[in-house]
Amino acid sequence: MEISCKNFGIDGLYVKAAGRLDLDSAVEYGVKIKDTMEDSNEEIKELILDFSEITFISSFGLKVVLELYKEMQAKQGSLKLKDIPEQLKNSFKMVGFDKFLDIG
Amino acid sequence: MFKTLKAKIIFTSIIMLTLLLSVFIFFAIQSRMFTKQLMVQNYRFSIDALFVDDINDSIMTLEDNLKSLALIGGLHYRTSRSDELTDEVVIRIFRNYPNTLGGGIWFIPYIFDKSKKYNCFYAYRNKNNKVVIDKNFASVEYDYPNQGWYKEIISRVTPKRNIVWSKPYFENQGSNTMMVTAGTGIYVHGKLVGIATVDWEMSSVIKNISKMKPHEMMFSMYKRGKKIENSFVLLGNADDDYIIATNDPYLDGDSLVGHSLKKIPWYSPDLYGKTYITYHGKKYIPFFSKLHNGMVLVICLPKREMFRNVDMFYFPFTALILLFIFMILALVYFGMNRYIINPIDKLIDIAHKISHGEDINIKISKPAEFVQLASTFDTMTKDIKAITKEREHINSELNIAKSIQASSLPSVFPPFPDRDEFDIYALMEPAKEVGGDFYDFYFIDDTHFMFLIADVSGKGVPAALFMMTVKTLINNLSQIGYEPADLIKLINKKICETNKQGLFVTMFSGIINVETGDLTYVNCGHNPPLIKTNSNEYKYLECESNIVLGAFEDFDFKIYKTKFDIGDTILLYTDGVTEATNHNDQMYGEDRLLEKVNKFHNDFVDAMALDIKNDVLKYTEKIERSDDLTLLIFKYKNKHNSTCKTIYKAPASKDNYKQFYQWLHKICENWKISDELTNKLDMCGEEIYANIAFYAYPQAQGDIRVSVKKEDNRIILKFEDDGIQYNPLKKPDPDIDLPPEQRPLGGLGIFMVKEMADDVQYEYSNNRNILTLTFNIV
Repeated sequence: MEISCKNFGIDGLYVKAAGRLDLDSAVEYGVKIKDTMEDSNEEIKELILDFSEITFISSFGLKVVLELYKEMQAKQGSLKLKDIPEQLKNSFKMVGFDKFLDIG
Repeated sequence: MFKTLKAKIIFTSIIMLTLLLSVFIFFAIQSRMFTKQLMVQNYRFSIDALFVDDINDSIMTLEDNLKSLALIGGLHYRTSRSDELTDEVVIRIFRNYPNTLGGGIWFIPYIFDKSKKYNCFYAYRNKNNKVVIDKNFASVEYDYPNQGWYKEIISRVTPKRNIVWSKPYFENQGSNTMMVTAGTGIYVHGKLVGIATVDWEMSSVIKNISKMKPHEMMFSMYKRGKKIENSFVLLGNADDDYIIATNDPYLDGDSLVGHSLKKIPWYSPDLYGKTYITYHGKKYIPFFSKLHNGMVLVICLPKREMFRNVDMFYFPFTALILLFIFMILALVYFGMNRYIINPIDKLIDIAHKISHGEDINIKISKPAEFVQLASTFDTMTKDIKAITKEREHINSELNIAKSIQASSLPSVFPPFPDRDEFDIYALMEPAKEVGGDFYDFYFIDDTHFMFLIADVSGKGVPAALFMMTVKTLINNLSQIGYEPADLIKLINKKICETNKQGLFVTMFSGIINVETGDLTYVNCGHNPPLIKTNSNEYKYLECESNIVLGAFEDFDFKIYKTKFDIGDTILLYTDGVTEATNHNDQMYGEDRLLEKVNKFHNDFVDAMALDIKNDVLKYTEKIERSDDLTLLIFKYKNKHNSTCKTIYKAPASKDNYKQFYQWLHKICENWKISDELTNKLDMCGEEIYANIAFYAYPQAQGDIRVSVKKEDNRIILKFEDDGIQYNPLKKPDPDIDLPPEQRPLGGLGIFMVKEMADDVQYEYSNNRNILTLTFNIV
């Protein structure tokens, strides 16, 4: 899966990925983001995940999202999900993620 | 009767030796009889030569002597010579006859002088063998004219100068012996003037004869000069019937002298013709001779002693021959045992051992024929070993060929687990040889299923190779997509082209559209199949059998079409079933097969096929089947439009996940399933797949089997694994209302599955975890 990470502002990280966020790719996705955050000069306080080109998310993907959310919380930072496709929104709702995340 | 060579040889030997023995005994008896006859003749000649002739000579000499005396007596009377002169002449005459004991001239009383009564000249041989004149007889005391012999002789003489023999009498004057006196008359001018006599002593005659010995020439094997004991003699006068002398040991010879011959018990007038007489329990051979003076002489010799030497020769000789024959028999027996029977036994033993696989060097040292036989045998054994080895090699190759052939037939049942439109089961029980039966079935496209059964003519390797060719050819051609009629025509054409050996194939083939049940079938010279339609009984399908494949290149086969309903079944078989024969040479037959299949009430094609096979095998039992036994049963179950099912099966691994979801997507696409439902299937599929891949097989690798089935307005997704037992549904649901900080990371997946699927069922059976998810198509 293609993952691109881009710093913005002083402590922001913008992540865009394309394809399926599933058993095969979820771990890779999570590890890549964490590594990027650790490698940043500044501590990342604002994480934006662009879902516009994600076609599928499974529980493995949702698990990674929850992990990232917890990490950002711990750092007093924030996690935002951007442009979640309609067909994926149900999955977020199903597991109650809509209660703490803005899924649009 | 005589099965063994030994018995035959012994039997033949005994027969031959018995014949030989019989011939020998016959000739021996003949020869013995002949020898005895010869001996008897010899005895006769000897007796004649030695005794009878002697006695006759003596008698003749005696008579000569007598005639001389009579002549002198006559001269004395006529010339009135002096007595001294006549004495001298008588002495001289007697000197000329040395065997004469005594005798003389006796004149009739007073013939010369009325005062001189006695005128006689008697001479005898004294103890010194000197002839002297005894004048004592011319005395009143003796008075010779009154003596019996004088009276007897003078009364019987005649002028013809006959010789008269007196009866034997006992001479008591001088010698005290038994005498016979021969006498003749002295006639002068026809007037009887006196008599001349000569004395013959009998006892010496008898004594001489009793001392009889066999002559040297008599019989060469007879011991020379040995006296025959127990012989006896009779001398008598047969004409006047009186006994002169005998030394018969059972009689008193002296007292019988002068008596009738009837006093001798063994004597009879016809004695001359007899070969032997029995006297006091002993056998004697009488030798009868008539003497010159009319007396008879009978010499009796004991038969047994006479022939003792002959018997002594023949009995040991016979025994020796018998012994010899038995020795030959024994030699034949031992020789045969040693040189024929023993080597044969040895060869038999060796052949027996070799046939049991033992490795033996044959060692026979004699006789030459058996040495040669043994060497030939040895060579043969080696050849047989080589041939056997080669044959084993060929056999093992044939077995491999057989297994290759068998494995070329589809043998995994059910062959299409994802298709439940039909049940099919087929089997082939090969005969001992590789054969030419085969069956085959496959989809020629998504909906058309072809099945066939075929029997290649002939047996063995050619048939097997041809079968493989034909099978491949049919398979290849049927995939192209010809119409059935064209397809079968083409198959036939191609088979004709590839078949230069004149082999052919019988085949029954059907193509069924599993969606509609439309069945097209053709029979190429094959046995009519059994068919069951509309739940009726099985019956033989009536259809033209056309001709066999591979016979005529350009042939239009008659094709039949029918429609199968649910439950319709067709049973194909080869002649290995109906023509299987039992030990009574009776065939299994079509009627028995029909009866058998109609007894089935359940629908399990595999059970049915196996049961028929076992029935046929039981029928043939001890007989080795000459033909393959092949069966194929096809049962139509469902129509395609209501059901669709596909199966995924692969090792459960995270690495194979991509392959799995691509398969699932493809199905969804094919079945035109909405994106939403596809997404659901995708998510649930991933969750369950991951569960199995991560947890089901902690130790080793295992498979995951997923089937997806579209049924009316439902999609049924079924996961199966044979890993550790685990029911994911028992896992408690996560609390989705918890604040994010308190929420655990895991446990979302199965919760989502339960949320998304319309029904979730778990079961554990046959050591398998089975999870069935049902989704309604909205």
